Amino acid sequence: MTHQVVRQTLPLLAEEDGRDLYYLPDLPEEDPYAAGHRTCAGCGPAIQYRWVLKAAGQDTVVAGPTGCMYVANSTYLCTPYTVPWAHTPIASGGSFTSGVAAGYEAMIRKGRYPGPYPNILVMAGDGSAADIGIGSISGALYRDHDALFVCYDNECYANTGIQTSPTTPYAGMTTFTPYGKAIPEGKKLPPKNLARMMAEGHPHCYVATTTVGYPVDLINKTRKGLNHVGAAFLHCYTPCQKGWVYQTSMTVELGRRVVESGLWPVWEYDPGERAYRYFHPPVQRPVTDYLAMQGRFGHMLPEHVARTQAGANRNWELIGMDVPQALRDLEDPARHQRLADEEYSMPVNRGIGA
Amino acid sequence: MTSVPVDAGPPRLQRAIRTPEGETFLRGLAGTRVRQNGCAAAAYAALYANVDVITAYPIRPYTAIMMNLAQFVADGILDAEYLHADGEHSQFSAAFGAGSCGARAYTGSSGVGVTYGYEMYSIISGARIPIQMAIADRTLDPPGDFGSEHTDALCTRDMGWLMGWAATPQEVFDKSLLAYAIGEDPRVLLPQMVVQDGYFVSHIAGEVEMPAAAQVDEFLPPYQLPFPLDPRRPVSHGPQIHPEQGPPLQLERARAMEDAIPVIREKTDEFARVFGRRYPHFVESYRLEDADIALVISGGHAVTCRAAVNRMRAQGIKIGMARLLWVRPFPGDDLREALAGVRAVGVVETNLGLGGASYGGILSLDVTTALYHLDGPRPLVTSFMAGLGGETVPMAEFDWMAGKLGQAVERGRVEKAAHWVGFED
Repeated sequence: MTHQVVRQTLPLLAEEDGRDLYYLPDLPEEDPYAAGHRTCAGCGPAIQYRWVLKAAGQDTVVAGPTGCMYVANSTYLCTPYTVPWAHTPIASGGSFTSGVAAGYEAMIRKGRYPGPYPNILVMAGDGSAADIGIGSISGALYRDHDALFVCYDNECYANTGIQTSPTTPYAGMTTFTPYGKAIPEGKKLPPKNLARMMAEGHPHCYVATTTVGYPVDLINKTRKGLNHVGAAFLHCYTPCQKGWVYQTSMTVELGRRVVESGLWPVWEYDPGERAYRYFHPPVQRPVTDYLAMQGRFGHMLPEHVARTQAGANRNWELIGMDVPQALRDLEDPARHQRLADEEYSMPVNRGIGA
Repeated sequence: MTSVPVDAGPPRLQRAIRTPEGETFLRGLAGTRVRQNGCAAAAYAALYANVDVITAYPIRPYTAIMMNLAQFVADGILDAEYLHADGEHSQFSAAFGAGSCGARAYTGSSGVGVTYGYEMYSIISGARIPIQMAIADRTLDPPGDFGSEHTDALCTRDMGWLMGWAATPQEVFDKSLLAYAIGEDPRVLLPQMVVQDGYFVSHIAGEVEMPAAAQVDEFLPPYQLPFPLDPRRPVSHGPQIHPEQGPPLQLERARAMEDAIPVIREKTDEFARVFGRRYPHFVESYRLEDADIALVISGGHAVTCRAAVNRMRAQGIKIGMARLLWVRPFPGDDLREALAGVRAVGVVETNLGLGGASYGGILSLDVTTALYHLDGPRPLVTSFMAGLGGETVPMAEFDWMAGKLGQAVERGRVEKAAHWVGFED
């Protein structure tokens, strides 16, 4: 007779007043993403990898498509994973992980694996998840495999030397979108709204966004995604010190400021209610508080900053927060100076080939 | 730190159970002879092999294999995850993922579908994941052409997959089981392509003997990947290497291909013992004992070729045929043995190799290289471009080829490296 597929349920951490940023007594001790990798100082994706795998625990199978977190993590004979891990081609994050999920479903049913069904997840960069592999992830979400599909988003192809990806923000300098006389803003296009696309396009899936600035939120959303029976998608903002040019100690701070400046709405989509739940940050900042910390924006002119502020203000409206008049006023370029002239601004990024 | 067991061997996986409906269905089939085409034969073999995961994407003509399997799953005869991929690249990736965690995975394609997923071939064989892929040949574009041509599968010949053509539905059925047994053998661990000519084999019915499930279970042990993605014994698959770590891994894969040769012989003999049908290990030698000239061929056109050989023999022409049952690993020893003493060899290509040393097809490159190492006099070799785009190769064309080979023997040299059959006098 066919065996029953028993699934795991992971406990959620308490979220006092929404989020407690500094006190994490109930954090799991296990570290399936151990020391021994070669990520940069201040690497946002490495922080995300660690929280996600702490949240998932040891009874887990992980896939990792090509990207910086493949190259920096998995040195032959010295990988940092104490859980089974497999590299996949960059376009195969969704499809390979589908195969693992399908394999475990069948093996448990047919008596070839005792169970319980492992936590199955993939962590793909934005180049993989929003660009070359978006079809394979969409296919996997559509088919509703019981797995968690994570996009760690450092807003560029970092591994290959900081080239633009569909999630690189407007005016973000990359080596494929340098600024110059003819194109002073560098990147001219606004970013693809990947998580929204996944939620709207696959309404039966659990979808959420988060950042490395909110570890409890990241852990809980990872666990909710894994607990959800079916496919889940988690889009996590993960700063890249090498690509963005900021002080290495500021990774977590950036993860909060991007939310507080309205540039990264943090939300959760509940497939049962078919509704979005938005996080309302306690602080609202002008976008310059965020942009000036990063060299990739150092070339921005007043009109570019104003356009970014206008985009942030639309995000505030989208998530149901009032836009203070001070922030509305900042949609006017006359209210801005060149970003390089802002106080505390980072040096302009002139790196070629990164 | 959590302690992780690293010294335990891989957990042994049990034989996959069949559904009660599947048991009943297979009991009813055992010992019967069923008329079915090559696509159905491939699907029945996957059913008997009790595959765990099937990944499908539609393209003619192989689609019918997946249609058959979809019905088996819908009827509860086969308990398998049937995954509708979003394209061939994803399709092969998903089969790769399933195979990597220890599930027996089955996939397939035709024509440009085979080439769309090209990235995956080296990755899957390099990871040593022995999934099976059924190919029903189709011409590559342009222009859009449904017809059979071996170019699609042969494009992938150097990617580390075991590859062989079946000439009849019965052989498709048998070869699918054989290929799993060979590829999953721990001495080999390589993925397999079981190839059949589109339409000529995939869509023309022949008689296929249905075995008892117990025979298949005896011949094909449960799939035991030595290093599955299993939380009970964590392993890392496919990490980044330094340049100096590359050559040893490539050598391992090359050796696996060589090591497959004795395993193919052993499993082919074992197959004959269990099922009572004996195939040559690598090369079907047909009327070659005293032949002056010979045609080397692969796949379904061999059926016509045999008849042509018989008719020419009746006319006193000393011709024979060597049919390749496996193209990867290429059977150099067996081909040399079969063709020793022959004075001129024509390779019937049914594939397109543009700009190569043969100025015609792909197959003659391997055949010529193999024959170069023959002890004693070497036969002349030429390439016959025939059966392209899905055209049949009629008896008259084999007669024409024999004529060209006869002339080559008389002159002591071939007229040209490749003849386009039907375009020349």
